Amino acid sequence: MFEVRKDEPDYAFIPDVPTPEKNRYGKPIELGSENRSLVGESLNINGDDSVGKSPNRYKQHGFHFTADNCIACHACEAACSEKNQLPAHISFRSVGYVEGGSYPAYSRMNISMACNHCDDPVCLKGCPTRAYTKFAEYGAVLQDPETCFGCGYCTWVCPYNAPQLDPVEGQVSKCNMCVDRLEVGLKPACAAACLGGALDFGLIETAPENREQIKNTIPGFPTPDITNPNIRFQQTRSLPREMSRPDSAPLRYQRDEQGQSDYKPKAALKAEERQWSLRKLRSREDPLVLFTLISQAVVGAFFLLFLGPLLGLGALSEGSNPATVTITLLAMLALQGFALVISTMHLGKPHRFYRAFNNLKYSPVSREVASLSLFFGLFVAYIVLGFINIPFVHEGFTEGLRYVCGAGALLTGLLFIYAMHKIYRIEARPYWNHWQVLSSFFGSTLTLGAVLVGLIFAISLTLQGEPFSGLMALLAWPMALGLVIEGVGLYAHGRDLDRKGGEGAAAHLEQRTTFGHTYNSRNGALVLSTVLIILLAVSGVDGPLGLLMWLALAGLVIVTSLVGRALFYVLVVPTTMPGAFFWKNQRFQEHARESGLAEMPQVGVLPKTDYHHEQIARAKREIKGDLLKIRQQGVKVSLQRLAENVKERLQDALSRA
Amino acid sequence: MLFGRAKKNPIKLPAQDVVEWKYTTCGYCSTGCSIEVGLDKEGRAVTGRGVGGADVNQGKLCIKGIFEHELFHSAGRGDKPLMRDRIFDPYQATDWDTAMDRTAAEIKRIQQQYGPDAFAVISTGQILTEEFYTLGKLVRGCIGTNNYDGNTTLCMASAVSGYKRSFGSDGPPGCYDDFSHTDCLIAFGSNLPEQHPIIYWRMREAREKRKFPLIVVDPRVTMLAQFADMHLAITPGTDVVLLNALAHVILAEGLEDRDYIKAHTSGFDEFSKLVAEYDPVTASKICGIDEDTIRNVARLYARSNAAMSIWTMGINQSTHGSDGVVGINSLNLITGNIGKPGGTSLSITGQCNAMGTREWSSCSGLPGYRVLEKEQDRNDIARFWGIDPEFFPKKRGMFQTDIFPAIETGQIKGLWIIGTNPMTSMPNTARIRKTLERLEFMVVQDAYRDVETTEYAHVFFPAGLWAEKKGVMTNTERRVNLISNVVSPPGDSKPDLWIFNQMAKRFDNGQKIKFPEDAADVFDEMAELSRGRFLDISGMNHDKIEAARGIQWPMAADAEGGTPRVYSDGKFNHPDGRAKLIPLPFIDNNEVPCDDFPFWLNSGRVVEHFHTRTRTGKIGNQNKYSPTPYMEMNPDAAQALGIEHMSYARLVSRRGDAVVLVQLTHRVAPNAVFVPFHFHECVNRVSLGLLDPHSRQPAFKQCAVRIEAVAQQEAAAVVNRAARTF
Repeated sequence: MFEVRKDEPDYAFIPDVPTPEKNRYGKPIELGSENRSLVGESLNINGDDSVGKSPNRYKQHGFHFTADNCIACHACEAACSEKNQLPAHISFRSVGYVEGGSYPAYSRMNISMACNHCDDPVCLKGCPTRAYTKFAEYGAVLQDPETCFGCGYCTWVCPYNAPQLDPVEGQVSKCNMCVDRLEVGLKPACAAACLGGALDFGLIETAPENREQIKNTIPGFPTPDITNPNIRFQQTRSLPREMSRPDSAPLRYQRDEQGQSDYKPKAALKAEERQWSLRKLRSREDPLVLFTLISQAVVGAFFLLFLGPLLGLGALSEGSNPATVTITLLAMLALQGFALVISTMHLGKPHRFYRAFNNLKYSPVSREVASLSLFFGLFVAYIVLGFINIPFVHEGFTEGLRYVCGAGALLTGLLFIYAMHKIYRIEARPYWNHWQVLSSFFGSTLTLGAVLVGLIFAISLTLQGEPFSGLMALLAWPMALGLVIEGVGLYAHGRDLDRKGGEGAAAHLEQRTTFGHTYNSRNGALVLSTVLIILLAVSGVDGPLGLLMWLALAGLVIVTSLVGRALFYVLVVPTTMPGAFFWKNQRFQEHARESGLAEMPQVGVLPKTDYHHEQIARAKREIKGDLLKIRQQGVKVSLQRLAENVKERLQDALSRA
Repeated sequence: MLFGRAKKNPIKLPAQDVVEWKYTTCGYCSTGCSIEVGLDKEGRAVTGRGVGGADVNQGKLCIKGIFEHELFHSAGRGDKPLMRDRIFDPYQATDWDTAMDRTAAEIKRIQQQYGPDAFAVISTGQILTEEFYTLGKLVRGCIGTNNYDGNTTLCMASAVSGYKRSFGSDGPPGCYDDFSHTDCLIAFGSNLPEQHPIIYWRMREAREKRKFPLIVVDPRVTMLAQFADMHLAITPGTDVVLLNALAHVILAEGLEDRDYIKAHTSGFDEFSKLVAEYDPVTASKICGIDEDTIRNVARLYARSNAAMSIWTMGINQSTHGSDGVVGINSLNLITGNIGKPGGTSLSITGQCNAMGTREWSSCSGLPGYRVLEKEQDRNDIARFWGIDPEFFPKKRGMFQTDIFPAIETGQIKGLWIIGTNPMTSMPNTARIRKTLERLEFMVVQDAYRDVETTEYAHVFFPAGLWAEKKGVMTNTERRVNLISNVVSPPGDSKPDLWIFNQMAKRFDNGQKIKFPEDAADVFDEMAELSRGRFLDISGMNHDKIEAARGIQWPMAADAEGGTPRVYSDGKFNHPDGRAKLIPLPFIDNNEVPCDDFPFWLNSGRVVEHFHTRTRTGKIGNQNKYSPTPYMEMNPDAAQALGIEHMSYARLVSRRGDAVVLVQLTHRVAPNAVFVPFHFHECVNRVSLGLLDPHSRQPAFKQCAVRIEAVAQQEAAAVVNRAARTF
């Protein structure tokens, strides 16, 4: 039990006050009734089996923040980091600010924000490993770093920047509501530390002493519609109509001319000139650029190989070009294998990859990995069955089975592309949350699939001294069609972003300014390659010269795709909380890395963005440790434990079903 | 509704295994917050928390206090005495005897060769009162130099000087509890939320319970200014004009407390004659506050039942610092607001033990608010210490800010620096470099080996810091707090008390004077010396102080407890028992902006840092909020100069230049910039620091600069990075 001191001041205790039955989102504040069987159990914090005595243990609690009062003294952040022993580059709670007006009629509003322990925790739903739990106790959403494998998806879906991905540790951790303090009736460390009379904590939908407002929006805070967060605000002091951010996020907040509406995020022009910013195209998500494009190319190529012969692409049939088809299949296998490896290695803890299936019920990541596994399995089976004959069964059966596998791979492949797109349909990332992701992914599937197949066949046919222009003329259809689909999607995307405003429009503005030249060139290249594909197809060029021309064109298409996909990752402007001038300011972090300031650990910025080698080394260490443990306790015992574990999981799944 | 899994997983939370909590008091600012440091089985300090039952902070701590326990393991600590022959040689580790013998020999050589005052000692506001007292004994009683001062000249000298001029003695009259009784508060150049977060918390709690008007006088829209009912965005350096005008309105409208003035003050006629010249119209043209506002504030203040003024560096660090303090005191005297609940003139002190050094270090005189100029005081101390009174000079020597120019021109040849870092803290860094390299011998005594001043030292004494030692400190409200030695100093580093005691043995008088080894015994000596005096602590000892979580002096031997307010009886410490109302003519001697240097340069503190960052720059969870210097600049002014947010700009003054990262904000006026002073090789490369004629405190906050856009941003980043070695 957390120690309550004899002289613990009154302000540190959570007041026991009446609450309404339901919160503003229509959900009951009492959380115990739906899980009677679990009520009264210990939370088992650090092996302590005692049970908290709070009369409100099963009611939703939350933070109350009086934005008028916050002085940005960092006491809340410090108390949190001290209690949770966080290194300088991580913090569960951060204070940022927005400011407006002109001297001396200047106003700055500070915002202290951590996890809002939402009614609809998108982190929990998004997490493929089920590292998150929303407890009936206090309504706390807790995350277990030991379960997490460091994919960082929760950091994408959370609108408030609550989950913190530590690139050094390769895992996420976050605000734990100080449940150990709650169990003894104390407010979380941050709320007890507040010096400005701003941050408080208590039963949700109740106002702390001397506070009169309980609302769920303030300027800079993302719309509560996404997650139904359990934070409430008081903000009665009038602020200038427009508030700006000190960090590099291209956002400002504005209310309508009459000053009546809530503050809405608007794009803020930070770099007016059009730039290339090619170096900024690289990011932590580089492996995902390759993974998505390769996967789409492979699914597209398989589609063409499997269905092509039926659709008039006879040249692609195993009958007419058996060796080339085999080479193509093996090339696809190698590519997809490579994509799998880099996407796994992209995890903070790659050796925990198997946990990706833990949350099929909710997580788009789990579903993507599951559909990818099905596709890949069936695809491999399709290849293998092409090589071997199953003994003792009729040859036709093998072939039939292979055909079934192929059809299955085709379907699961399409499902895989769809599931992949669902990952990006995140409300907290308006730039991504558009059907353009789907059109882009399927566009790439068509274009890159046709390019992959076309290249291998064109080379092979040229080497055999045979013409390929006929085949290419047909493959030009999916190629061009894919590009057109991509283009239409992009057009609609830009139009809709501007129309909707907010973070999406800000990203789109960034796209046209900071990345302006790159963006325009990519768009130009899309149009140009579509035209060139049609021209080459119609011209019927052939032979080595023709091959060279097609190769050059393929190069253009691939580079365009890479640039486009890189833009897709780096441009997204999430609905985050405002940062400060140094802390949580991406531009300062970049500067600290470039200037060498980040090499001093106390600057709080990691010197590198990528800790791949360290993570691999840790993975090796942990695997070695696991093996040693297995050896020590004996294989039999280990297997028994594994079986118990699986049984537990199944029971868990059944009980939920 | 347990969401996510049907079976609960056990929860793992980071937790420290604390086996013992040790009581101490924070060693950063002068608020005086009680802290408990948690120790694990191995006796390592692993966590800290505010003491719930402590009167000052009631369980709260600011960011610095929260992480203070990490100081025990911070980087850059000195753990061995170091020595070198010349400042361009590398340091060699040595033992204490060698380092001290060499130091004592050099002190004696310099004194013999150039006279006793050719060796100077500059101390701090950071060490414990027992250590200050012992250092005073060593310097005044054994070494015998008259050039001995503390770095408090950079922060509180004007407050001290102003208190002495008005009331006849140093010693802030009020306390934090006054916030709970006041009906009107004016904060002059004091930004509590940033500089004294716990005092801010006390003020805000009081104001939430009982709303009273808050008026903030500051050229910058500080956090406190933003929360004020009235913000007076004053022209830098013109506070005296505003104060005269406030007094003008009060007297002109007959709002003064005539009974109080008559009974308890002197000099009213000269005072009223001078303030008559400062009518609000005239004043408004100088100080930039419109006449209506001046009248409004004056009436509000004078009509309140109890009104109080607080101030910090905005007043102290100016060429009229001492006058500003006198002006604030006079405002409170003519309205009868001294020594009564909610009515006071309270300087919010900077350093944790600035008060201790003022009371007991003998810097400006002799211990216990005694002065060298009084024969009685000299005799009393000489008798108590057992030495010849003639050993003492009969007049105070140089202030810190006069010692450096005396080094520059060769009158002073040797220097002992204790717990201060002039390389970063003094104005005009280039001049300080030039000055320090002229010394024949310098010894730096500090907890940190990497304090920048060691660049020019010959000997380095590694000292213990904060709660590696035992003793007391006095806070802003005269509260004597106990620091207990939670852990031992690392390696060979030693408590300052031990260092002073060992050094004393190397001087003739050191054999005559008693130098107790235990801080509690030193305290008892001070208590004895304080008996019957204004700062009487004879009723206190270490145990009583800890039990009470700090006691406010005076507490006489037979008293039950401390005294929240002084001067409540209207008796002051001038010989006539009255407070003085002093006329304050305003002479504008500041370096004001001009065509070549069109911006006011203002400097100040940020909440996450303390002084020159030797401590806070090492702790990531503090330092990260401002890991490198920055300059607040008005966006309109920046646009005209082509300067962008988060780019480096060049700051140029008549002294030199500096590169600094620009933060555009309307918090500052279009003709003003603000730069935090904590950082090495930044704002003090360009600052001027004209000296106040009374307190000799530098005017850090007023000088003129030019700002230039920097084309070579990468080169600027290299320059900036090079100055951030920790």
